Amino acid sequence: MFYELCRPGSFVDNGFVKRTLQMINEMQGAGVISHYAIGGAVGATFYLEPAATLDVDVFVLLSDRGAVLVSLTPIYEYLKARGGIEDREHIILGDWPVQFLVPGSELEREAVAASIPVDVEGVRTWVMLPEHLVAIALSTGRAKDHIRVLQFIKEKAVNEQMLRAILQKHGLLAKWEQFEWRYLGEGT
Amino acid sequence: MRKGKEEMRRELASLSFADKIRILEKLRDRDRAIAACGLRRTASNNGPDRRTDDL
Repeated sequence: MFYELCRPGSFVDNGFVKRTLQMINEMQGAGVISHYAIGGAVGATFYLEPAATLDVDVFVLLSDRGAVLVSLTPIYEYLKARGGIEDREHIILGDWPVQFLVPGSELEREAVAASIPVDVEGVRTWVMLPEHLVAIALSTGRAKDHIRVLQFIKEKAVNEQMLRAILQKHGLLAKWEQFEWRYLGEGT
Repeated sequence: MRKGKEEMRRELASLSFADKIRILEKLRDRDRAIAACGLRRTASNNGPDRRTDDL
């Protein structure tokens, strides 16, 4: 058995992420969002080897915190007016599908607030700390999240003490122990 | 001599974020190319024709 890739010459170094980040920064400058941080696979890539992903997860803190209903409409309207294309749960910016997520838990809010500034070819952006990325992946709990957690642990890319403190604070220690037992050989 | 997997991983992990993003873009483009044209499983030698539907 073998696999055929029809268009192997389709690799292009398009550098669109930079433009995507610039647009998000401009949106922040315009006051549509107060702060943001990259999470998910792209966030993890800051600390680990790159892993294939089709989209960019951007967690945003909205400027209008007093609103009763949380709405991403101002983000979509701002970006669509500047060439962004809405595509289901994503908005395509500079060729990257970006998913804007409003933190749905105290853990995610803390992760955005504690994110660190990072420079991508002269463009400043924010990436979640590795301990928060691991805690969020653990709480999300899909197979690909578990793989990511394992990568962080295997590569010693997290501060274990800090991770444990975050897990304890957000009620994830039991889940962590289960994960350790299942994947890190603690009971095998 | 070929680099070991672990060494390769360490090297990739130590790249700048911008370089990693470039790799992500290439990986994404590869995934899109695979999705667009269909990844086909074809028969190996011997045995009956085991060509299957697109994965």
